[in-house]
Amino acid sequence: MSLIKSMQDKILGRQNTISEDSIKSALSSIMDPDLGRDIVSLGFVRNIVITGNDIKLDINLTTPACPVKDAMKAQAEEALKKLPSIGAVTINMTATTRGQVALAGSPIAASLGQVKNIIAVASGKGGVGKSTTAVNLAYALAATGSKVGLLDADVYGPSVPHMTRPDAPMQSNSNLINPPFAGGVKVMSIGLFAGGDKATILRGPMVSGVIKQFLTQVNWGELDYLIIDYPPGTGDIQLTLSQTAPITGAVVVTTPQDVALIDVRKAVAMFDTMKVPVLGVVETMSYFVCDGCDKKHYIFREGGGSKVAKEFGVSFLGEVPLEPAVATASDKGVPAVKANPGSAASRSYCEIAGGVASQVSIIHEAYKDALNQFTVVWNNDL
Amino acid sequence: MNNQNSMTQKNGPAVRVKSISQIDGRTLGITWTDDKASRFDVVDLRRKCPCASCIDEWTHEQILKPETVQDSVRPMKVDSVGQYALSIQFSDGHKTGIYTFAMLRKLSHLN
Repeated sequence: MSLIKSMQDKILGRQNTISEDSIKSALSSIMDPDLGRDIVSLGFVRNIVITGNDIKLDINLTTPACPVKDAMKAQAEEALKKLPSIGAVTINMTATTRGQVALAGSPIAASLGQVKNIIAVASGKGGVGKSTTAVNLAYALAATGSKVGLLDADVYGPSVPHMTRPDAPMQSNSNLINPPFAGGVKVMSIGLFAGGDKATILRGPMVSGVIKQFLTQVNWGELDYLIIDYPPGTGDIQLTLSQTAPITGAVVVTTPQDVALIDVRKAVAMFDTMKVPVLGVVETMSYFVCDGCDKKHYIFREGGGSKVAKEFGVSFLGEVPLEPAVATASDKGVPAVKANPGSAASRSYCEIAGGVASQVSIIHEAYKDALNQFTVVWNNDL
Repeated sequence: MNNQNSMTQKNGPAVRVKSISQIDGRTLGITWTDDKASRFDVVDLRRKCPCASCIDEWTHEQILKPETVQDSVRPMKVDSVGQYALSIQFSDGHKTGIYTFAMLRKLSHLN
């Protein structure tokens, strides 16, 4: 049938109207909501193959965790189907995560040279579910196909090993430590060296040394995202982290009540002082769903996290309900997003991961001209 | 202070370094991400070192007597610190100053 039609087209002098240009102009109506530009001028549309009236192409996003991936694919299909005499449309959604944190020759190059983004997960005070958020954020990003590492920088209270159960770290043949995998995520923690029940008793300068080692002597390899679980507060370790590694952005975790929000302000102010962009605020323990009546109980008041995000002009990434299953999963060493992917808390964490990935892409767009790192060696003869 | 901080987040991304290089024997040049350019006399930077042994942490009085810094002092190396500052290792052995981008912008009368 189509053969006859193409013969007719040839005889009647009709031009095949499908060309790379017509495809691109059809797709240029589709905007990336985060970057505020169309997907053609952003260079997302790639590998266009036209076979007769059938077309095949890739849309290459800035992160596999893109929350609007499916919507964008549907939009693209719809736009292409409007082209005259279009045949089958095959769109392949791909992603290349943007970013680079370390340059060759810098002291962190061996360790972080192939790491694209470093994300700090922090809170102004302890006990708000920061480690749980860091762990679930890491596994939610990994579930989308990203390469993820998780660094537990809470030297005095390392909880990541308990929540993920990695193997013992090994030394690689270079002078680096290979981080062990736990469920597909590379994990590093002082807890892997000290043993779970032993206390870390160290003075400040020693702790700084350990943190520096985690950033300079661990073979992180190729990663899209390295999530750092910060210790609570605004002290020595936080400063060392932000001074040693170029942190792409920070996620600030809080519970809804005012007392916790005071500390959020401090954490946001700290990142602001060190010019680390705040990717957004996550509110944990937002509500409890009663198993008897299915009603949401806002135990620690409602809307604190979104209020504080608005105050600082940063994104509100989402609220995570208080769910006993999250604690059970953590204690079993399987993060909630893996153990119960369908639960309300897990869905929240996945949404938050999508929001974080979007914010990271926005930051790369904003800082595409900035030097992440530099060294100028003075020339006295100049 | 808090208000100022919140302003920075609201006003979008903070200014960072786009390019940095040595201009001549004693001048460091920086082009910022907003395309404004600054030039710094390196001897002047050494005399304005913001570290705790040059500026009293509590009174903010200058402890360093600027006239004691020789005109012949030069950087050996300039390194980035996180994404908010740079540090300079000087030929007189001093290297503890962290020059924030905000401070450097202020020194060259930029916002």
